[in-house]
Amino acid sequence: MLQNNQIFSVSDLIAVLNQTLEYAYPSVMIEGEVSSFKINQGKYVFFDLKDSTGSLNCFMSIYQLRMPIDDGMKVVVMAVPKITAWGKFSLTIKSIRPSGEGAIKKSFEILKAKLESEGLFALDRKRQLPLIPQKLAIISSVQAAGYADFIKIVGDRWGGLVMDVGNVQVQGVDAPDQIIRAIEYFNSQEELPEAIVIIRGGGSADDLAVFSDERLVRAVAASRVPVVSGIGHETDESLVDLVADVRAATPSNAAQIIVPEKREIIRNSKIQVSALIPRIITTINEQQRRILEMLDGAIKTINISIDNKLKDIEYYKNIIIQFDPSTVLSRGYALIRGKQTVGEIIEVETINVIMKAEVKDVSKKAA
Amino acid sequence: MSQKKQLSIKSKTEELSKLVNWFNGDEFDIEIAIDKFKQAEKLAEEIEQDLLSLKNEVRQIQQKFDGSVQ
Repeated sequence: MLQNNQIFSVSDLIAVLNQTLEYAYPSVMIEGEVSSFKINQGKYVFFDLKDSTGSLNCFMSIYQLRMPIDDGMKVVVMAVPKITAWGKFSLTIKSIRPSGEGAIKKSFEILKAKLESEGLFALDRKRQLPLIPQKLAIISSVQAAGYADFIKIVGDRWGGLVMDVGNVQVQGVDAPDQIIRAIEYFNSQEELPEAIVIIRGGGSADDLAVFSDERLVRAVAASRVPVVSGIGHETDESLVDLVADVRAATPSNAAQIIVPEKREIIRNSKIQVSALIPRIITTINEQQRRILEMLDGAIKTINISIDNKLKDIEYYKNIIIQFDPSTVLSRGYALIRGKQTVGEIIEVETINVIMKAEVKDVSKKAA
Repeated sequence: MSQKKQLSIKSKTEELSKLVNWFNGDEFDIEIAIDKFKQAEKLAEEIEQDLLSLKNEVRQIQQKFDGSVQ
């Protein structure tokens, strides 16, 4: 209780005023335009927050700067009002985010260029998802419509899947840190999920700016488990979308990407089996044709062999005929039987007669 | 239970793919093709039955992510 005519020391008055401020305004949200933005020693951030008639000094640590901020940007800050030891009124910023489409877009583009230059969006960083997942981690608000759509479509498409759900805020100042903690939680499990799916339905540019928070984007990039983003509508683009291993256009689209359609799998299984039949039939037909060809070849070989044998027989038959004595006799020769000695009686056979004759003389033929 | 059956779907799908590859590969042998075909037909039927009967399991993690100490 302040007493009339009470004399304060300077420090005491500052302390009392700060106490009063803390009691009356423990935390305030203020919208304004940034000017004289500067970072000192790579740690401390100073800027003025102003509108057409007023201006306030602001201070924060660089740790709390989650999105790029620049002069001229419209921002919303959560701050603690304070009088410094030097008597200056100042806002100690707890959180800051761009406000309005222009500021959000500008901040988005600055951070996008920075992370792109670090290679965080490179295609060769993207990992493939399992064809048939068995265990997934879902990060979303269980009250969100996008979450309900996702669960319903996954259920329609596939069965037997275990989904562990990390219930987090998906909008507001605390959302990025909650999502980061959930990513870290799933990455620290002994049995890792096969993919992490981050789900959030449509919203305003302000709402979706949560998913362009630098630390959140880096947490997605650092995840050991592949990440699928299903955030907002098809036309919305966040930096989490760009860094994710797979970007789905919407939560429903994420469900379509993450699990196969069971009817399609059943149909494909049947098609695969049906497609085996022609292979069997073709092989049987081929083997039948080959056997017939072989039989045909064998018959031809046998026929050629028979023809050759017949020719041989004919040939030998002719030779035998030539050696037949009657053939020789028919050519006028005679066959003589008996000793070829003078005075001996020999038998002479021609083609027509057999006669006896006496040997009158025997002489050797000249060589 | 469902996890066990799910594993079975995955292994059955892989087994079916192996059989299909066998039919399209150099090891194809008409002597045993009919048996292999019957196996493939049975697998496809089992995959259909399993898929139509399984439900998903959704488990909400008890862990709070709001930074409060558990």
